[in-house]
Amino acid sequence: RLMSKKELLWGGLCICLILLAYIIPFTILKNITFWYGSFLLWIILALLIIGINYILVKDWRD
Amino acid sequence: MSTSLIWWGIVIYIVISLYIAYISREEQQKNMAGYFLGNRKMNGFVSALSYSATTYSAFMMVGLAGLTYRGGVGAFGFEIIYFMGVTLVAFFGPRFWLVGKKYGYVTPSEMLGDRYDNKKVATIISLSSCLFLIPYSAVQLAGVGYLLEGMTDGEISFTTGAIIATILAIVFTYFAGIRSVMWTDSLQALMMIISSTIVVLLLVNGLGGFGKFFGTLSTEHPKSLVVPGNGYFSFTTFLSLTIPWIFFSISNPQVSQRMYMPASLKSLRRMVLGFLVFGLIYTIVSVMWGYSAIMLFPGLDNPDVATPNLLSSDLIPPVLGVIVMVSIMAAAISTIDSILLTLSSLFARDVYGGTGKRSNEEKQLKVGKFIIPVIAILAYAFAQLQLNLIAVLSVAASSGLIVSVPAIIGAFFWRRGTAAGVISSVSIGGLLVIILEITKFKPFGLGSGVWGLVSAIILFITVSLVTKAPEQKANEFLEYVRTAMQKHTKSA
Repeated sequence: RLMSKKELLWGGLCICLILLAYIIPFTILKNITFWYGSFLLWIILALLIIGINYILVKDWRD
Repeated sequence: MSTSLIWWGIVIYIVISLYIAYISREEQQKNMAGYFLGNRKMNGFVSALSYSATTYSAFMMVGLAGLTYRGGVGAFGFEIIYFMGVTLVAFFGPRFWLVGKKYGYVTPSEMLGDRYDNKKVATIISLSSCLFLIPYSAVQLAGVGYLLEGMTDGEISFTTGAIIATILAIVFTYFAGIRSVMWTDSLQALMMIISSTIVVLLLVNGLGGFGKFFGTLSTEHPKSLVVPGNGYFSFTTFLSLTIPWIFFSISNPQVSQRMYMPASLKSLRRMVLGFLVFGLIYTIVSVMWGYSAIMLFPGLDNPDVATPNLLSSDLIPPVLGVIVMVSIMAAAISTIDSILLTLSSLFARDVYGGTGKRSNEEKQLKVGKFIIPVIAILAYAFAQLQLNLIAVLSVAASSGLIVSVPAIIGAFFWRRGTAAGVISSVSIGGLLVIILEITKFKPFGLGSGVWGLVSAIILFITVSLVTKAPEQKANEFLEYVRTAMQKHTKSA
């Protein structure tokens, strides 16, 4: 019938990114003691989230 | 940094803020929507700055910096996970805004009470919000007291600091309701972001630039760049801290109420995107602030004194140090006044308005205005008393409010949700959170927020399935949301 396909698609991608934000720093990056480890990953994920939010809100109209 | 310089900083901040609050007044606010929602006519830029100032309290430059000092990059991850959760506004924002405009909702709990066709839902969620957010405000007030006392070696007492913060929060709220709160919030948000960014750039430059900054961290404090690092951020700790904060944007009424206020969906869009840009910059700045403390003052017993130490260091000019200190104070006050206004609207609309007495808009507004100083004085008293239970409730605030999340999601996406499901999930879930916080019991190493959410989901679904849903109201509400979303978004 309550969420658009676009919301389902980008919402699903958001959930995947959040899961990556939990998993990768505690596994693949747990020994990378440089700025390009977890610190950089979380910045990249945050920027991707801003991009997804832009896609989700750009079509709102009054 | 002299005490007289700090007093001058505080006086200048108060004068400018009061002027902004004064000129923010429009015509007399005669109804609830006017006083508490700015007549749903707030512009996007002010909404974004105010949302930022309300969300980011003194915790960022003091607490998050201290958390970075204590546990390293995990603190950054914790805040970024919260940041990612703000995406919920992109889903719930237009829905809140549309139903708010159609049905005239002033508070999120009023919306839930109407959607589940039971005023008790609104009353219980409002009381639950007060239970957790008044102690949270008390801790913010105490934060201002400690900051001023610490920065002046006791020349400005804890009590003086807390009283200044309480009075300013009441005045900012009283001048013109949400209009004065949002305009003073905007000023405070700009103070927060500009002063903290400049001071961190100065610090990084003083420590040899970005390359050397991270090089020193890598060689001398390598564990501060990984999780679990020194062991502080174990996976279960990280999970327990972050789960309640993912849902902050819909579970905390002082921010979810903001989704009713923008003048249009275009303004709401500006609010979302503006906040995200502000939030990412402020988060990075706060974590870099904490990293600077690791390098300049290794071995502090109490990480919370990292910020006062940094502000007093030789790398920061005294005038800039005072500006940053005042901006931290502003961050606390801008959070307190928003909570104050939201809680008074919840009380007037859902507790007083839900008692069955003949309460019209005018009476509710009178009650709302009366209750503002009452809540503020209560928070101040809690801050002064520093009771253990208050600290427990404050820490539990994000966990305690998470129990309303299933009801909020269900309101828009599940026709079978019932008032009994909401009442049982919010009351039993909230009680479980308080018990776990008081006993400090962590089943499987997971914090109260995780168990609060799990219990609320189970209770909401099971109780709803065995009780009768308000089908007519649910169908009408959901049908309106569906058609309105199709109309207002291109691809819905």
